[in-house]
Amino acid sequence: MKSYFGSYSSSPGAEPLQSSVLVFDKNINIGFRNPDGTTTTLDWSLKDIVASFDHSRQSTRLRYTKLSNAEVLIEGNDAADFVKEMQTEQQKVWYKKSGAKEWGRNLALLAGLLGLLVLLYLLIVPWLSEKMASKVSVNTERQLGDAVYDAMGLAAQEDTAASFVLNEFFAEMDVPTAYRIRITVVNDNVVNAFALPGGRIVVYTALLKQIKSYPELAALLSHEFTHINNKHSTKSIFRKLGSKVFLGLLFGRFGSVTSVLVNHADNLKSLTYSRKLEKEADTEGLAILTQRKIDPQGFVSLFNHLKESAPSDALPEFLGSHPDTDKRIAYINEASRGATITDNNQLKTIFSTLNLNQW
Amino acid sequence: MVITTTSTVDGRPVQQYLGIINAQSIIGANIFKDIFAGLRDVFGGRSKTYEKVLEQAKEDALRELAQKAQAIGADGILGVDLDFETVGSGGSMLMVIATGTAVKF
Repeated sequence: MKSYFGSYSSSPGAEPLQSSVLVFDKNINIGFRNPDGTTTTLDWSLKDIVASFDHSRQSTRLRYTKLSNAEVLIEGNDAADFVKEMQTEQQKVWYKKSGAKEWGRNLALLAGLLGLLVLLYLLIVPWLSEKMASKVSVNTERQLGDAVYDAMGLAAQEDTAASFVLNEFFAEMDVPTAYRIRITVVNDNVVNAFALPGGRIVVYTALLKQIKSYPELAALLSHEFTHINNKHSTKSIFRKLGSKVFLGLLFGRFGSVTSVLVNHADNLKSLTYSRKLEKEADTEGLAILTQRKIDPQGFVSLFNHLKESAPSDALPEFLGSHPDTDKRIAYINEASRGATITDNNQLKTIFSTLNLNQW
Repeated sequence: MVITTTSTVDGRPVQQYLGIINAQSIIGANIFKDIFAGLRDVFGGRSKTYEKVLEQAKEDALRELAQKAQAIGADGILGVDLDFETVGSGGSMLMVIATGTAVKF
C-alpha cells in the first residue's frame, strides 16, 4: 500500500478537492471532504483505472473509465509507476502471480510428504516388522505360544488319547522343522483348529469327527504346521504392533473420530494380510502333501467341512480373515493338477486307531 | 495521507484531532511455513518465511488503519504504534495491532 495527497475533481470544470489517495493491490481509495463538511470515500477498482503522467503539470493523472469525467491529480510520477506496477501484477495469470510459486512448492511438499507416509505405512513398516519377527528365536516363540495356551485353559479339556494319535500321525509324515510340534485335541463343539507360535497346534473334536480319511487330517495338520514354520502368528503380531505404533505416532493427537476411522482401515488391511498368510499355509501345506504323495483332495474335503459348518450368511471375503472357501478349493485344484498319489499305509493305520465316534 | 510514528509533522500544523483509531490483523502462517520455520530453528539463521508473514500482517494492519482514517476524513495519522503478539493455541498465529491518532492538517 502507498498513500498520496492529491486533488480530486468530479468533472473538468469543478473545483478540485484536497484528497488522500490510498493505492492498494486491487483498488484505490480516494477520501475527501465535500464543501458542506461531509466526508466521502470513493473505491475505484484498479483494472478500470488509466494512469498517465502529465508532463506539463509534473503530476500523475488517474482517470476512472466508469466515471469518464472524474480524475485525480497527484504530484510527481511515483503514483503512476506504482499504479502501473500493481496493474501488471493483477493482469498476470493466477499461476504466475508472486504467491503462486510458493503454493506450487507447498503442494509438491504435501504430495511428497503424503507419498512418503503411505510408502512407510504400506512397505517399510511391514517390512521392518517382518524383519524383526524373523529375528525372534524359536525358544521365545515357544514361550509365547505356551503362555497363550495356558491362558486359554485348554489343557483341562484335552483328549490325551486322540492327541497321542495325532502327534504320532504327524511324526510319521516326517516334516523337517526347527520346531517341536505338539498337537492337542480339545473336546469342544467348535469346528476349528489353530496354531500357536512355537509349535502348538490345537484341533477341536467337532472338526476332527468330520474328518473321514487320512489325507484330510494330513491336509489340516500341514496347513497349521505351515503357520508355525513360517512364523505367521509372530509376523502378524509384529506387523500389527508396527502399524499401530506408526499410526499412533501419526494420528495420536487427532480426535477420536479420526482414530476410529484409521483403526478400522488398518484392521481391514491386516485382514488382507491374514488372507495372504492363509493362502500361503494352503499352498505350502499342499506341497507337503504332494511331496509325500498324499491325495491333495484332502484339502478340498476339509474345506467342504468348514463350508458346511459356517453360517450361510457368511461375511464377504474382504471382511474375512480367510480367503473365500470356493476360491481356496479352486486354487488347490489348480495347484494339485497332475500330482501322483500313492496309498500311505502307515498313515492310514495310525488314522484308523483314532476313535472318531467317541465324541 | 501521512502515516507517522512522530507526534507532529514538520511544516504541517494539526488543524483538528479526529480521535484515536486502531486496526488489527491476525494472520496464521500456514503449516508449511511452520515446517520451514521449524527447520530454521534447528539449523539456525533468519527465518524469511516468518518474516514475510510478519511483514504481511503489518501491511494489512496499516492498510486498514489508513482506510479508517480516510473514512473519517483525516489527512494523517500521528503517533502510530505497532504491537506484535502471538495468539491462538500454542501461539501459532501472529497479531499486529496498529494504533494512532487521526488528524486533519
